[in-house]
Amino acid sequence: MNDEVFDDDVFDDGGRGGDSFDHEALEDDVLEEALRQAAAILDPVPAELRRTAVEAYALHSLHDVDAQLAQLTFDSLVDAIPVRGPDVPRMLTFSTVALTVDVEVTAQGMMGQVLPPRPARIEILGGPQSASATTVTADEMGRFTCDLSLSGPFALRLRSGEEVVLTEWLRL
Amino acid sequence: MTLSCTITAGTTPSAAYDDLPYTRGGAVDRVAVGALVQSAADGDAAAWKALVDGLSPLVWSVVRAHRLSDADGHEVYQTAWFRFAQHLRRIREPQKAGSWLASTARHECLKVIRTTSRLTPTDDPRLLDRVSDDRTPEQTVIDSEEAAAEAERIRRLWQEFEELGDRCRQLLRVLMASPPPSYQEVSAALGIAVGSIGPLRQRCLRRLRARLAARGVL
Repeated sequence: MNDEVFDDDVFDDGGRGGDSFDHEALEDDVLEEALRQAAAILDPVPAELRRTAVEAYALHSLHDVDAQLAQLTFDSLVDAIPVRGPDVPRMLTFSTVALTVDVEVTAQGMMGQVLPPRPARIEILGGPQSASATTVTADEMGRFTCDLSLSGPFALRLRSGEEVVLTEWLRL
Repeated sequence: MTLSCTITAGTTPSAAYDDLPYTRGGAVDRVAVGALVQSAADGDAAAWKALVDGLSPLVWSVVRAHRLSDADGHEVYQTAWFRFAQHLRRIREPQKAGSWLASTARHECLKVIRTTSRLTPTDDPRLLDRVSDDRTPEQTVIDSEEAAAEAERIRRLWQEFEELGDRCRQLLRVLMASPPPSYQEVSAALGIAVGSIGPLRQRCLRRLRARLAARGVL
């Protein structure tokens, strides 16, 4: 399967083998190391990105230490028949043992429902660049809407009574 | 290349992988990674920072290997780390945190590719002139005029690398993360079998060397 990729340019090792094997393996290692140095110079991890990863610890690990994690159990991008179009809604379901959160995200905004139905306060988290999270309220039926256009890293923090539920981060 | 004091290079692979063709030295020590994950889960911020230092280049390599636009790539990188922070106390095999991050980044990359009708290649020439805000020791070396020839050699090496076929370019971009990723991590990063990585690596590196020789770079 991998071989067809190489058909455009016949690889030629000149029939070498035996004694040259160790030497070539060494040359391979040297070349990989040269690439590693080149990558460190020409394509390093951007410093500001690295900082967001360091800061993620306080924001997303320590901060929500008592929250339940709602795992992504359905993502229309992966689990549904692909639909092409300019504004196909992204359907997401997050689940804990006790509840699910269904979310539908479009270019216009987001709507969703907490099931079993319950009122809740829902913070929409969007990465550290939007420091102040938007908060919406779910009604008695657990329904909520938000007319903000969302993109990038995204998570929801739900508070209902004593319960705090955090959805898994994903990129919209 | 600076390594964290707590992530060491050049250790023997753990016995769990004895049945796999593990041929690489210098991989991030899995036992050390497992201990760091444990410490970070227990509230040690320095352990978290060591994890970021040790595994950031791998996550970044996965993003770059998938040729996302800069904006998409940054979001995937952030999403992978945010989710890792969330899962820190729940990860079943802390010593495989590198594979976990690589796999998470890969899946987010694939989602981006599904939503983007047309991919924006990142191999535009400006990349070659990109200068990071924070100067690494390597970059400082390049700044000196004496190193101009070395800089030119590195630039031409990178150019030949960028012109390889997709699969080779993708594999090598992940392999060149620092410290060198294990084959398990490469497998998680690219969704290819561990056993195919060694032979593919050999072909790709030799192909690149042949190109470099033909251009007189080597």
